[in-house]
Amino acid sequence: MVAITESARDKVLEILKDGDRHGVALRVAITGRGRGPGGFGYELELIEEGEKAPDDLEIDAGGFKLIVDAMSVPKLEGAVVDYVDDPMDSGFKIENPNSFFEDPVAVRVQQILDDQINPAVADHGGFVMLLDVKDDTAYIQLGGGCQGCGMANVTLKQGVEVMIQRAVPEIKHVVDSTDHASGTNPYYQPAKGGGASPLA
Amino acid sequence: MKRVLLLMTTTSYRAQAFLEAAESLELEVVIGSDREQALSFAKPSGNLTLDFSAPEISALRAAEFASAHPLDAVVAADDDGVVLAAHIARALGLRHNALEAVAAARSKRLFRDRLAAAGLPGPRYFELGLDAYPVEAAANAPYPCVLKPLSLSASRGVIRADDEASFLAAFRRIAALLERVEAPGAAERRGILVEEYLPGSEVALEGILTNGAMRTLALFDKPDPLEGPYFEETIYITPSRFPLPVREAIVEQTAAAVRALGLEHGPIHAEMRVSEQGVRMLEIAPRSIGGLCSRALRFADGVSLESLILRHALGENVSLLERESRASGVMMMPIRRGGTLRSVTGLDRALRVPGIDDIRMTIPVGQRVIPLPEGARYLGFLFAHGDRPSEVEESLRRAHAQIAIEIDSTDAGLPCGEREA
Repeated sequence: MVAITESARDKVLEILKDGDRHGVALRVAITGRGRGPGGFGYELELIEEGEKAPDDLEIDAGGFKLIVDAMSVPKLEGAVVDYVDDPMDSGFKIENPNSFFEDPVAVRVQQILDDQINPAVADHGGFVMLLDVKDDTAYIQLGGGCQGCGMANVTLKQGVEVMIQRAVPEIKHVVDSTDHASGTNPYYQPAKGGGASPLA
Repeated sequence: MKRVLLLMTTTSYRAQAFLEAAESLELEVVIGSDREQALSFAKPSGNLTLDFSAPEISALRAAEFASAHPLDAVVAADDDGVVLAAHIARALGLRHNALEAVAAARSKRLFRDRLAAAGLPGPRYFELGLDAYPVEAAANAPYPCVLKPLSLSASRGVIRADDEASFLAAFRRIAALLERVEAPGAAERRGILVEEYLPGSEVALEGILTNGAMRTLALFDKPDPLEGPYFEETIYITPSRFPLPVREAIVEQTAAAVRALGLEHGPIHAEMRVSEQGVRMLEIAPRSIGGLCSRALRFADGVSLESLILRHALGENVSLLERESRASGVMMMPIRRGGTLRSVTGLDRALRVPGIDDIRMTIPVGQRVIPLPEGARYLGFLFAHGDRPSEVEESLRRAHAQIAIEIDSTDAGLPCGEREA
């Protein structure tokens, strides 16, 4: 079963009311591996109730239907759809106790990313995604403001690595697999001679 | 485990190289930066936020930090950290360059004053305030001359003038640039140094000082002519192809300039011109080579320049670490015009050119590129090795020719001078 918080319910009802929309449902699905909680990618959209697939799970959310993609149901068991109204980071959020990973070590690494690391780097528009855990090594990828950031290595060595190894001592190495040259919006951009941060 | 304070602003190109070196040496690293790191709470003993424009206050803060987390060395990655590093080293009693010497090297004006006082040959020069009436200065300037903003580095804002009209145009352009980019703390350094133009080939010396004794780590030729009106550095090749007497003269002049400044300990990056008149110093910075260029240098057993610097800062004897015997080089990819970087193609072909080790693009597609004299960022770097310097140069040029850079210059609103190089 997937739950929805009161704030999320109120926000959906507000959207439906403002748009004068009827017969509309909120559909949630897992799209595969991603940067969301549990290491999943999520899709959250408003659909016409008639667009629901026959096998999709239908939940009465109180004023509208919450539709759960049939294939995603097992991986969304116990998940909660929430809405956060924060000037710095507002929007719908999904809390999901399940993990993309089956390896218990990888699950714990993903948990530390979800609970501590990603909320912090989100302040810089960034995120950290776990790609895999093999033996004692976690392979990660930095994205958003972290990709191509001049301080990405500092974040990695002085932050991500420390936090992962503290929480999951089995991990001895954290390898950054990011193509930093492709980062389109790095938070800190290098400049000749160093120089004060333009954001300072 | 020894602990090193690495000073770098968030705009540094050197974070990765220094952190990798520190990790390979199993050092505890404290990052001293001008902004709080995103995950600084994970390791409070590894991060220190410092105001680089207030070095006295920041040195006190670093000393307070060191009382709880003792520091064995302080190293500045870039120009902007060298004065702060000297302050902190003095506060902590760490072996380092004297603050006065670093301040003299950091100031284009004091640099010239010190060398002139020591009797070293150099250009005629004078300082011109931004609020000065430049027409009189233009009438009296030695032509050709070069106008250099006191507060910027890496050729930024440096413009050659061949006559009064180009002098005045250069003055206005630099003034406009400084208006846009100078930090409030740089107010005391506002101004322009006007120097007689020094003809000749440009070379760079990477060195390390130990108790006043200078050791040359690498001598780079810059085979592309740097004659102005702007001075965009491109290719660095080591070892130098100048004959031995010239190379010796370069080392002698650099050592003399180092003594004149009073620099004694740590890395230096010196740039000079070589002509029939001899060797003339352009600048000496009390830090190592900038950008990603240090990747072109490898010492015994693959030791990086950053590793060598950290070991030296910790008091290790690094005199036996010789640079590898093969020639090597780096090309800082030139920025031909300003605009939005739309695409970079041909990197795979460039990487396949014999001798090419690596290519690093450092401005992402979609971002603005700005040529000199206003630009402050490198477009990218190519690295090569070869048996001879000429092979390395050939590899870099051939590889660069494979790379197509598409820049959209139609953007509206680019500040004056950013549209065309």
